Amino acid sequence: MNLLASKDNLIRWLDLLLHEHVVIAPVRVQGLTLFQPISKAEEVDLDFDNTTLPPKGWFLPPTETLFSVQRNDGQTKLVPAMVERDALIFGVRPCDARGIALMDKPLLQEPSDALYRERHARTVLVGLSCRQARPECFCTSMGSAPNDASYVDILLTEIEVGYIVQVTSKKGKMLLPESFTEYEGVLPTPPEPRAVPIKDVMPAMKGLFDDTYWERLADRCLHCSICAYVCPTCYCFDVRDYSDRGNIERVRSWESCQSSGFTRIAGGYNPRATKGSRLKQRFYHKLLYFPEQFQDIACVGCGRCIKACPVNIDIREIIDDLQQLEAKSGA
Amino acid sequence: MNLELTQQIRDQARGLLKSGTVKGVIGYERASDGLTARPFFAYELTGTDQLIFDETCSHNLVKYLLDKKGEKMAVVVKPCDSLAINLLLNEEQIKREMVFIIGVSCTGVVETAWNQKSQTLQARCQTCRLPKPVVYDFLAEQEPIRRLEGELYPDILEMEAKPIASRREFWHEQFGRCIRCYACRQICPGCYCPECFAEQLSPLWVGIRIALGENELWQTNRTLHLAGRCTGCNECERACPMDIPLSLLNRKLEKEMEELFSFRAGLTSEEQPPFATFRKEEKLGFEE
Amino acid sequence: MKVEYQPKVIGFLCNWCSYAGADMAGTSRISYAPNVRIIRVPCSGRVDPLLVLKCFQRGADGVLISGCHPGDCHYTEGNYHARRRFALLRNFLDYLGIAKERLRVEWVSASEGQRFAEIVASFTTELAELGPCVKERSLG
Repeated sequence: MNLLASKDNLIRWLDLLLHEHVVIAPVRVQGLTLFQPISKAEEVDLDFDNTTLPPKGWFLPPTETLFSVQRNDGQTKLVPAMVERDALIFGVRPCDARGIALMDKPLLQEPSDALYRERHARTVLVGLSCRQARPECFCTSMGSAPNDASYVDILLTEIEVGYIVQVTSKKGKMLLPESFTEYEGVLPTPPEPRAVPIKDVMPAMKGLFDDTYWERLADRCLHCSICAYVCPTCYCFDVRDYSDRGNIERVRSWESCQSSGFTRIAGGYNPRATKGSRLKQRFYHKLLYFPEQFQDIACVGCGRCIKACPVNIDIREIIDDLQQLEAKSGA
Repeated sequence: MNLELTQQIRDQARGLLKSGTVKGVIGYERASDGLTARPFFAYELTGTDQLIFDETCSHNLVKYLLDKKGEKMAVVVKPCDSLAINLLLNEEQIKREMVFIIGVSCTGVVETAWNQKSQTLQARCQTCRLPKPVVYDFLAEQEPIRRLEGELYPDILEMEAKPIASRREFWHEQFGRCIRCYACRQICPGCYCPECFAEQLSPLWVGIRIALGENELWQTNRTLHLAGRCTGCNECERACPMDIPLSLLNRKLEKEMEELFSFRAGLTSEEQPPFATFRKEEKLGFEE
Repeated sequence: MKVEYQPKVIGFLCNWCSYAGADMAGTSRISYAPNVRIIRVPCSGRVDPLLVLKCFQRGADGVLISGCHPGDCHYTEGNYHARRRFALLRNFLDYLGIAKERLRVEWVSASEGQRFAEIVASFTTELAELGPCVKERSLG
């Protein structure tokens, strides 16, 4: 049975949740919409398209201390970082929720990432269906949908009189207030994002590793890390130790396959020294290696990389091109 | 699309490729949104039909010459972009004989994002003083050429007039948002160090934390390394996914370099940039 | 008991003139404010602006850069380059919200022990009036 929440009740519920949880929700910051911890429900932007950055930053923060070393009276102690409070992420789009489910595959497989696992266990996801598909969206081609409730604990869908509340987990159920009433109506028809055929992309890639296509594409690429940092499924990071006036910390921060400093290995050798080889890595990882290992394409079709790329490297175009190239060479 | 300019660029590109003068032509083509432009490399005659020019052609293509040092390339440049050619010639990063410059007389480009095109000219175009490129081999011309006048630094003056504490707060807010994707560096024609200070391990100038302190070191030193070198194409600000107003940093130093050393980057390829030289008699506000 | 605010000053002194000047203050038994922590550098031209910024981030309230008098540089022209660089940095720091008075550039020769002591004293007094500088943590 689905429930119905009026907008007022929803806001009141959020305020209530703030007592027990860190609530992270979309907030307008200048021209951007960012997931940020809120202190009052009214700070939330309920009319956003999608956030500038995906919610992955809560699970895998841009920067975090993994542990610190404390020294007292000749004793050395490792102090691991802890997740302090339960969290609730409000307003997650279904595609981004799938992004977290995809990050789970590498990060929760044993040996799992301790901090990620801990945050995951202590976080509730409240999703928000999309009312419209944006021009960059293609979630339905990547295993999700504008109203997909599979990867959240609670999914909200806006209708004229408020929000339909679908509860999909026990964690979600426990949080619901009594003010939400039963709703027997039907769910609205979801919008239809653009379809991107992907059927032949994996076999196509296997034959195109040495194709000049990649060099040509890399001509335009700037090799910044925007695409990786706005991606809900990219999870690469770098780790370094710092010592600051006797206080030692092990820190990790986001990194990306596009950065030559990241691909360079000890001794100074860089196995992916050229622009083309790094750009290729991005797409081979997303469209071939990840699916070979984890059965899913590492893309959710949110379209952030398409929107944010300063030189318009468009993953949908690449998926099309690769299949066409392969069809041509096969024929 | 500006048919007049587009045609001139296509004809020129065809001629250059046909005669074998250049290996390729770096220009613009329509982006995947069908609305804006993106960089495009034409190596074959058939590719030249994709070349376009219009008010969405914001990218400074001079950056790409740094990747193509071994091959003679043609590049389409707007007047503002041409300043960066002089910068790279001055710093001996490119060779004049290895570049064929297709200059474009420009009436300004508009603010764009993927699938978005505004009607208003970019701020830098509203005060642009350059009617045509400062260096070119061929000029794609159009009439009439508008020359715009106006206060160059109204926003900088406004920032300078703020109380010092609120300036600090403002910049902390901006730097706090930086995600260190380095798009500002990667898109900049003046940033070409084989190893950026931000990625050097020894000495470790900037740590890897994506946090206010490190971000501040990154952004302020990025700007300082471009002092007297930034040619004001503002591509860094356009690329920034976090909307950090980088032009407020770059143009502040542009203004300072003009006031302190009467220097503007890129106007010629001969004059030495201020930090490569000095004058013994100058005091610069320091007592002797 | 109220503890009087004591500004922290980092002094980058060139090896050939200013460091020797500070040394001269010491050997001449001229006392000067203990607020300055001295870092000896080969030349004022060696001081990277990033080092200055890091000082402010890590808790300095003022930074003093001191080298040979113009014309006297051990490396002929290092201080001329420093002069240009810090003329810009001073204004840039101010724009970023770190008052330009917090960065001082002074020329002190090896014989000017007295002058060095006076510079430190006046800089410390000026910084005390400005109050503490906003700190920002960075690692590495």
